[in-house]
Amino acid sequence: MLESILSYGLAIGAVYALIGITYNVMFTASRVFSFTAGMLGMVGGVLGAWFITRLGLPVIVGFVLVLACGALIGVVTEIVTVRPVLKGIEQHLYVLSTLAFALMVQQFVAIEWGTEAQPFPRLLPIEDGWVDQQFVLPILACILTVVGLEVLYRHTLIGRAFRAIAEDSYAARALGLPEQRLRTASFALAGMIGTLAGFTGAMMLLAYFGNQAILSFYGFVPVALGGMGSHRGAVVGGLALGLFQQAANFLVGGIFAAVAVFVVFIIVLLLRPEGLAGAATARRV
Amino acid sequence: MSIKRREVLAGSAAVGAVALTSGLAAPAIAQNEPIKIGYLPALTGPSSSTGIGINRGTLMGVEMINASGGVNGRKIELIVRDTQSDPTKAVNAVAELTQRQKVAVIWGPLNSGEALAATPLIARDKVPMLHPCWVDSLINVQKYPMAFRNAPTNQQIGAAANHYVVDVLKLKKVAVISDTTGYGTASVEAYVPMLKAKGAEVVYSGHVDAANPDLKPELLRMRNAGAQAIMPWSVNAGFLSRILNTRGNMEWDVPVVGQTTLGSGQTKALLEKPEYWNKVYSNNFKKVCFGKDGKLPPAAEEFVARLRKEKVEMGDTLLWWIALGWDGSRMMAETFKAAGSKAGDIVGYWNKLKAWPGVYGTITFTPEQHNGFPDDEVVMCEVNSLKDGAFNLAPGYSS
Repeated sequence: MLESILSYGLAIGAVYALIGITYNVMFTASRVFSFTAGMLGMVGGVLGAWFITRLGLPVIVGFVLVLACGALIGVVTEIVTVRPVLKGIEQHLYVLSTLAFALMVQQFVAIEWGTEAQPFPRLLPIEDGWVDQQFVLPILACILTVVGLEVLYRHTLIGRAFRAIAEDSYAARALGLPEQRLRTASFALAGMIGTLAGFTGAMMLLAYFGNQAILSFYGFVPVALGGMGSHRGAVVGGLALGLFQQAANFLVGGIFAAVAVFVVFIIVLLLRPEGLAGAATARRV
Repeated sequence: MSIKRREVLAGSAAVGAVALTSGLAAPAIAQNEPIKIGYLPALTGPSSSTGIGINRGTLMGVEMINASGGVNGRKIELIVRDTQSDPTKAVNAVAELTQRQKVAVIWGPLNSGEALAATPLIARDKVPMLHPCWVDSLINVQKYPMAFRNAPTNQQIGAAANHYVVDVLKLKKVAVISDTTGYGTASVEAYVPMLKAKGAEVVYSGHVDAANPDLKPELLRMRNAGAQAIMPWSVNAGFLSRILNTRGNMEWDVPVVGQTTLGSGQTKALLEKPEYWNKVYSNNFKKVCFGKDGKLPPAAEEFVARLRKEKVEMGDTLLWWIALGWDGSRMMAETFKAAGSKAGDIVGYWNKLKAWPGVYGTITFTPEQHNGFPDDEVVMCEVNSLKDGAFNLAPGYSS
């Protein structure tokens, strides 16, 4: 039982963490909470199955194409649903515009791909021994993403520009940083991370248009638990959620497992509204 | 000689006046008018696989009837409205079919979700209705006196599976699991008491979110409780395949007995290994299953030969779906021939229908019972024996 809780809990937790990071990457660059993260995860699984199983492309080609499509969807999201809203006064309309765009993509997938879950191929040509690739790949993807983002944000010029925009967009613009182009680039990056989550998690979750709802919600929980904008918090929150969810599956089972997850989620937010890794911010009044 | 527009209009008016005063021409026109059947399949959308299969049989039946001269010289016209698996669309189509098109009878909807929404409206408009949906409440002679079902009810489906587990396989400890949909939860609530009434011990009973990707905890619970059979009730191929994959990975040799989706191509496609489909038994229908001799019953064999001759695709659907569509169109045509196309006459004829010999089922209606499918023709089949859309009867049945 413990082995199953650890392997499965960490793997699904890594997928949730990656979706949480997707939310964060879009949020930090734009202060927009885009509800397209779950959609990106769903699309990653469906496109992966389409490229590799249906079209018969090599795994590596399929993988690169999935990431490219994710980046493209991210850019389209920014242009279509975020940029026009940020120009307006009622900026919180992005809740509607991003959600509507995500639902449109989901319906398109349902029509073109089908509404039944479909198989996702084994990605590595190896026999599963003591490690199972469906569990290892999402964890590996999560580690590489977090390390990659750390390197990007701390050791590259563009990463520092991202951080500058996130901390104070007015000051960054005053310094001559191209805010709009950086925001578009961050949405492209988020698109790649979201589809990476779906691609590596699809051996567990299958290529299924209905995954959008669970990824949107369970991917949001790590953000709320870990603190908005904190990638490390999202990873800790995601892994904790996966482990707790799987432990609840074993201990209480059935629909009660989902209830247990929500109860803990609400309790944590009541005790620490800023999230486990977040810090309360001072506001000038 | 040139004909002026005014002369044509005057001539037409004269002919119309004669027709109106003599009353001769109108019946002659009515006798040659096609008989309209309002047809509500779900040809697109999430529940369309059933509709696509039934549609092939329905179209073939109507084409054959019309090719042989129609019914008493009148063609049958199918007025098709794709419900798109959406109850709202089905409701809108009903209004059009009954009030504008004035159809003689409605065939469908073919899915329970749409039928639940559409049946009260069809009853209100007093149009006879024939449908193959399983939800029990869709047939109620008091509420819907013109609605008839040429397929089994959910009660019959559950009873056949319970009978197979308890009486044929002689297994007494049963695990019953469903997804959290209305269909799944209602099935578990209905079938668990039926199992207990048969003397079975339900050692596990639960509902699980179909999106839950790991069902190992649930299957471990079943195994630890001593389950000798698993009965899943869901139409979600992903959920069912996860049960079968988990059972296979646990190397647990327990039979799985349940709903027809267990034997669907979508479920098969999601299996990690082909052998995980072994010892899986799903509902099916005796008249369209291969017997012990490996042959279909004669009527089904003749039907398959006809399908091949007409080049109707069978590989991507199920034989019983096509046969059901064929039976529906044939039954309606025979009714028009024997009783005419007036609503009261159709209902009167169906109320006395006895042992109507369909390819899919033998249908009997009475004024008190509009569920026409016989209990003994609902059986279980071996899902790993799929060939030409049909399955072998499960072990324990006689041909």
